[in-house]
Amino acid sequence: MSTNAILYAIAVLGGLGIGFGLLLTLADKVFYVPVDERVVRVREAVAGANCGVCGYPGCDQFAEAVVRGEAPVTGCTPGGGASASALAEIMGLDNVDVEPTVARVRCQGGDGIAKDSFQYQGFKTCRHAMSLSGGPKLCPTACVGLGDCERVCQFDAIRMVNGLSVIDPDKCTACGACITECPNSLIKLLPRAATVTVRCMNTQAPKPANLSCDHACIGCKRCEKACEYDAIHVTNFLAEIDVEKCTLCEACVAVCPKQSITVSK
Amino acid sequence: MRKYSFRGGIHPLRDTHEGKELTRNKPIREVVAQVVRIPMDMHIGAPSEPIVKKGDRVLIGQKIAEAVGGIGVPVHASVSGTVTEVAAYQMMHKKPSMCITIENDGLEEWVQLAPLGDVETAAADKIIPAVKEAGICGMGGACFPTHIKMSPPAGKVVDTVLLNGAECETFLTADFRLMLEQPERVVNGLRAVMRAMGVKRGIICIEDNKPEAIQAITKAAAGREGVEVGTLKTKYPQGGEKQLIYSVLGREVPAGGLPMDAGVVVLNVGTAAAIADAVIEGKPLISRVTTISGAVAAPDNLLLRIGTLLKDAAEACGGYAKEPGKIFVGGSMTGVCAPNDEASISKANNGLVVFDEKDAQLPDESSCIRCGRCIDACPVWLNPYQMKRDYQLGKLDEMEKKLHVMECVLCGSCSYVCPARQYLTPAFKDAKDIITARRMKQ
Repeated sequence: MSTNAILYAIAVLGGLGIGFGLLLTLADKVFYVPVDERVVRVREAVAGANCGVCGYPGCDQFAEAVVRGEAPVTGCTPGGGASASALAEIMGLDNVDVEPTVARVRCQGGDGIAKDSFQYQGFKTCRHAMSLSGGPKLCPTACVGLGDCERVCQFDAIRMVNGLSVIDPDKCTACGACITECPNSLIKLLPRAATVTVRCMNTQAPKPANLSCDHACIGCKRCEKACEYDAIHVTNFLAEIDVEKCTLCEACVAVCPKQSITVSK
Repeated sequence: MRKYSFRGGIHPLRDTHEGKELTRNKPIREVVAQVVRIPMDMHIGAPSEPIVKKGDRVLIGQKIAEAVGGIGVPVHASVSGTVTEVAAYQMMHKKPSMCITIENDGLEEWVQLAPLGDVETAAADKIIPAVKEAGICGMGGACFPTHIKMSPPAGKVVDTVLLNGAECETFLTADFRLMLEQPERVVNGLRAVMRAMGVKRGIICIEDNKPEAIQAITKAAAGREGVEVGTLKTKYPQGGEKQLIYSVLGREVPAGGLPMDAGVVVLNVGTAAAIADAVIEGKPLISRVTTISGAVAAPDNLLLRIGTLLKDAAEACGGYAKEPGKIFVGGSMTGVCAPNDEASISKANNGLVVFDEKDAQLPDESSCIRCGRCIDACPVWLNPYQMKRDYQLGKLDEMEKKLHVMECVLCGSCSYVCPARQYLTPAFKDAKDIITARRMKQ
């Protein structure tokens, strides 16, 4: 093989490369599509989980919608306050104050605590288990513990511990996927600061409620009497805390005979 | 003789005669419960409204609850005695059911009945109101109010009535014994329905594993206008409405449609017998034949009052032979597991099958090997393995539009044949529930 052949090949391929390179550069200039640089910056500032909680198919579409002015800057719940203020800055709006929220499970009825109505076996989804004879637990609103919320969580924040869904508040981004998935609507989005919560959704009369779970709210109203701030009220045999009025004094936690009210992280 | 059949389906418990040997030769025996607890929501539709209160004395056949809404039926007392409680109990439904508990005083006193007379001479336009007043709803399992089935909306032409005596379900022999012992009631009921609806053709369909019943019904039907007897191949789910229509008449019920869209009304033989009682004697539906089988000391066919507690029914058969692991209300293929034995026998409960703890254990699920047996078994010609895959991927739109999961009849044939023991039917039920909820929202 002569040296010429090698040089010839290099020259041809190199020449082709340079030629196409020039063509591409030209095409880039001629067919240039202007991109709003704000879209890129918004895209970088959001959480980037493509979770869909904002109502758009993904973060790219959300970023475009924000720049078009269609989506609110507070739309990215997983991004929280940081993303909201960054987006407000990019869009030239006043800084917005977003109260950080977190999903909390309003049930403590794990294995042995909420009493079984029957033993469920078979297809492991909470929704299916709940469609049979009022669900496998005596309490009609107990955590079934088959992990529908765990499977739907994209942030690995939910674990099933002893047949009860437990949310890690550090990992939870309040995207709300688990809230719509739970067949008993046990998971609620609450302000992160509201650490005192009634962890029960049982609206049964006192007697069956007492029988169905060790930690069921029986509607005894002791918490109502203990609260100095008019922040807790019992309706339909279930205590509800008004987060606006609650001062986290924990007086209700101390008097609850069933330990239904707890202090979370 | 030609045996009608359809494509797909399975033959469960083939080696043990579908489990029916246990009760096949046991004549129907009446058992009257001391206490009955009658749920208000036995039928499909709005629950009935109780019109008696605690302490009232009621007679057999007395109306104790009024029908509510368009598709509702009244409820009648099944024993004479005192109402001891009107309260909610957890039955097989999602939510607790309002129940009327009556303590039997043993006097067996009936209310004054208003019979219409012989089925061939009774006024045809009075039959459907009489059926409604008697509180009759489909006794094969679904419990759809019969008077609604019998009154097709304007524009729908019904030319055939099929009486479903297939009893393809495992273990159950209630319909078999009824057809064998009281074939006249069944034929009379069919004639009443045909006259009320102005239909000229009625076919009583029976599977070929019940030759005695075919003989008895053929004898009773001899000389009756327009009544035929059809022999079906023994196969599950031969008794499914759509499968039955396809087998016998070769007609397909359109997707999302009802049997009346194919010009057919399908009724269970038990329902027909109840209609005959309502017309000839004016009796409301207060009792039904139920097979108690499986792990009980002496499996039997019992004539039970509506509202008999499951434990009393099991007790009448000598109690449980072993510690029960599961109690199926209905047969073992289509039945629903009762949460406990305090639930009661409703109008639709054709059987009670008790499994011991060993039989009740479910095998673990393993991966799909794509053998395609579920496709062969599906009587609706669906593609179960692909539907399960899409379910796991959350592609419900795909399941609804391309794989037609809404046409699934939840017969369980695919789950039965699956060598990987995949939970196919529950996944499809779940998907159907989600899609139905979605459609309701729209």
